[in-house]
Amino acid sequence: MTLQQIFVFAALGLLAGRAYGRISRPWLLFAASALAVFWLQPAALVRGFDFWLPAASLGLAALVWALTLPAGASLTREDKLAAAALAVGGLLLAATRYLPTVLLTASRPPQVELVAALAAALALLAWLAGRFGRGRAAVLGAATLAVLAILVALKAEPLARGLNAGLRSLSGQDPSLATAFDLNWLGFSYIAFRLVHALRDRAAGRLAHYGLRDFVTYIVFFPALAAGPIERVERFVPQLHERFLLGAAELQAAGQRLVTGLFMKFVLADVLAYFALNPALGAQTTSTLWMWVLLVAYAWRIFFDFAGYTHIAIGLGLLFGIRLPENFARPYSQPNLTAFWNSWHITLAQWFRAYFFNPLTRYLRTHKWPVWAVVLVGQVSTMALIGLWHGVTLNFLIWGLWHGVGLFVHSQFAAARKGAPAPARWQHVLSVLGTFIYVALGWVWFVLPQQAQALHVLRVLFGLG
Amino acid sequence: MTDKNEIISKLNTYITTELLKRPDKTIGADEALISGGLIDSFSLVDLALFVEQSWGARIDDTELNAQTFDTLGQLAELIAARAS
Repeated sequence: MTLQQIFVFAALGLLAGRAYGRISRPWLLFAASALAVFWLQPAALVRGFDFWLPAASLGLAALVWALTLPAGASLTREDKLAAAALAVGGLLLAATRYLPTVLLTASRPPQVELVAALAAALALLAWLAGRFGRGRAAVLGAATLAVLAILVALKAEPLARGLNAGLRSLSGQDPSLATAFDLNWLGFSYIAFRLVHALRDRAAGRLAHYGLRDFVTYIVFFPALAAGPIERVERFVPQLHERFLLGAAELQAAGQRLVTGLFMKFVLADVLAYFALNPALGAQTTSTLWMWVLLVAYAWRIFFDFAGYTHIAIGLGLLFGIRLPENFARPYSQPNLTAFWNSWHITLAQWFRAYFFNPLTRYLRTHKWPVWAVVLVGQVSTMALIGLWHGVTLNFLIWGLWHGVGLFVHSQFAAARKGAPAPARWQHVLSVLGTFIYVALGWVWFVLPQQAQALHVLRVLFGLG
Repeated sequence: MTDKNEIISKLNTYITTELLKRPDKTIGADEALISGGLIDSFSLVDLALFVEQSWGARIDDTELNAQTFDTLGQLAELIAARAS
C-alpha cells in the first residue's frame, strides 16, 4: 500500500465509524474490499490483466466458497445479493473503459461483453461446483492442488515467463517480450493460503457455514490483502457481526498502531534502505566492518518494513472493528532460532505448522520413525517450503535450508539440555546475539540472488575476502 | 465419565516425564504451555497422539496452537468434551 492508499482507507474508516447506525458494517467491508482488490492491483504488463487478476481473486474466492458449503446449505438472500453485487460491480467497473480516464484500475479495463461472458461462465462453474463438487474429498483435494499450482506458476521464473508469453499471445502482444514479472498478482500468495485453509478445513469437516459476502471479505480483506497477516476464517467472520462503535478508545488503539507502522515503514525502513545490503553494495564492499554494517542494516530494514506494514494492517483493521492477528513479537530479542520462528511472520509459520508440519510429523510418528529423523525431516522440509514460497529460486531454497538446519540443531541441543538449570543472564544475552547473527547471515542468501555473490559477501564478513 | 482433575494429572505426568524429561516438575493448570515455550511444535504433535490414544479425543492438526488451548486446564476441557 502507498501512503496515499493508507490515508484513503483511514479516512474511510473514520467516516464509516460515524455511520454504523445507518450502514451495515459487513456490507461496507465487503464492498470496500472487493473494490480495493482492483484499486491496489499494480499495473500488469499483459493487456487487461490489472483487471483480470483482481477479478480472478474474487472469482476464486466465490468458487471456493461454493465448494466448501455445508451439505444441506441452500443459497440465502444475502448470498444472492452478494453474488449479484460482484457481477454488477464487475460489469460497471468494465464500463469505466468508456470514461476519458481510468477510475479504479491501473489501465483501461477490457471489453464489457468479454467481462459479461466470463462472469456468466464463472457463475455456471460456481453453480456446478456447489451442485456436484461440494464437500467431495477428491474435488476439494483437486481445488487445493489447483490453487497451489497457480502459486508455483507465478513464483517459478521459467513457468511464469512461459505463462506470460502465452497470455501475451492471447491478448495480441509480442510473446517474445515476456518476462517472469509481467503479472504482479497482488496478494495472491496470501489469498492462496486462505483458500487452502478453507478447503482443507472443509475436507476435515471443520469449516463452519459462512455466507458468500463474509467469505469473500475474509479472503480479500483490504488491510491484509497485500502482505498479510493470515487470519483464520473462524476468528475473522464473527468479528464482522460484533457490535462495533468507533469510540475514543478504538481510535487511540488504531492510531497508535498506524503511527508506529508508518514510522517503521516509511521512516526507519526507508532510511536504512540507503545502506542496507543489496547486490550492488555487496559487490562493491571489501571491508569486513562495512559489510557487517550493511548486513545489520538489512536485517533491521526488512524487520521495520514488514513489521511496520503489519502495524498498519492491524491499525486499519481496528478502525473497522477487526482485530487482525499479530505477526511479530520482538523476533530479534529471542534467545534461539525456535523462539525466533515463533515471533517472526507468526501467522505464516502457524499456517505451515497447521497444514504441513503437523500432518507430516503425525504421519512419521505413527509410522514409528525415530524422533531425530522426524524432527530433521519435518523442520528442514517445512523451512525449505517457506523459503520457496518467497520465490522458486535457489537462493530462497538455501535460505530456507539454512533455517531448517538451524532449527534442527537447536532442537537437538535443547533436547540434550532438558532438565538443565535456566541459563544465567550473560548466557541469555550471548544466545540473543548468537541467534541474531545466525538470522542475519541467513539474510545474505535471501537478499542476493546469485550464490557466487552471497559467498563473496560471506567471505568478506569473516575477513577472508 | 472422565474427571477433569484426573485428566490434568495424567497430562501432567506425560508432559513432565516424556516431553520435558523433568519428572520432578509439576505444571500448573493455568501455566502457558505453548505461548510460554514449554512445549515445542514437535512435542505438540506427540501430545496430540497421546491424547488420542488415552481418551480417543481427536485434536486436529490445525488446532495445535495457543488459540485452541494453552493450559492444562483448557486442554482437559477440550478432552472432556470430546472423549469417547
